[in-house]
Amino acid sequence: METSASTSASVSERRGIPAAAFVEDVQIYLSQTGLDVNSALAFLQERLQQYRVVEMKLLAQQRDLQAKIPDIEKCLDVVATLQAKKGTGEALIADFEISEGIYSRARIEDTDSVCLWLGANVMLEYSREEATALLQKNLENAKASLEVLVADLQFLRDQVTITQVTIARVYNWDVHQRRLQQAVATASDS
Amino acid sequence: MQQSGASGSEMEVTWEDQQNINKFGRLNNRLHELEDEIKIAKESNENFEDASNELILTDEEMVRFQIGEVFAHVPKDEVENRIEQMKEVTEKNLEKLIEEKESILSQMAELKKILYGKFKDSINLEED
Repeated sequence: METSASTSASVSERRGIPAAAFVEDVQIYLSQTGLDVNSALAFLQERLQQYRVVEMKLLAQQRDLQAKIPDIEKCLDVVATLQAKKGTGEALIADFEISEGIYSRARIEDTDSVCLWLGANVMLEYSREEATALLQKNLENAKASLEVLVADLQFLRDQVTITQVTIARVYNWDVHQRRLQQAVATASDS
Repeated sequence: MQQSGASGSEMEVTWEDQQNINKFGRLNNRLHELEDEIKIAKESNENFEDASNELILTDEEMVRFQIGEVFAHVPKDEVENRIEQMKEVTEKNLEKLIEEKESILSQMAELKKILYGKFKDSINLEED
């Protein structure tokens, strides 16, 4: 279902999303970055926020694509139906919506061409075969984009998880340090 | 799913642990998506059932069948066939989804054993 997670250790970023550095040892991490605990936590929290913003954007794109794909499939269905009718010589009678809640009846004669709405107020006439090919290509592109998007989201969520765990560990390390210091302090007092 | 260590202990987390946690997170997300998809597939199946039943009851020869955005006038027999086909496709899809869900649940159970084994109380892998 997914690529092995060990490859993400060597990836420093993916399509503009920075990878979260995995911390082997909290003490070494803090001395390497030269940050004190609070600064480190603040930095990690900010990273987390940035990840969340990107996640929202990707989720919105995913929703758009997921709506687009059934639309294209419906169009392919219609063209295929027209194709099937071709041999019979009958016209296709269909009820369609001309305005909200108002329907009208159309008689679609046997025809070799269909018009496709390309967006931006542009509609072009295509032969049935060309239309099917174009719609098919759009469908494949949409599905491929969706796959890439899903992989992006998985990568992003992994980085979020790593950052959350790092925050917890830095915090725990701090609590642990304070306890050690307190123990030393009380020992020297007594 | 949360990971929170309230005990303040110096817990060592290896890269392998982190990968297991990441994988658990991914599986959990996929599980939620699957549950939604399964719900939609089941509703679709119900709709097809209802449609078939209505078809049997109606005595009209021509049925208005939705193709794309329009309702085409299609003979009853053809509509029956189409609905049968659509039902088959949805049922197969539903089977696949349920299989995937079972596989994910067992993988998650495995990971829970491993992670709870190492981290015990320091980690919480339950749904809140």
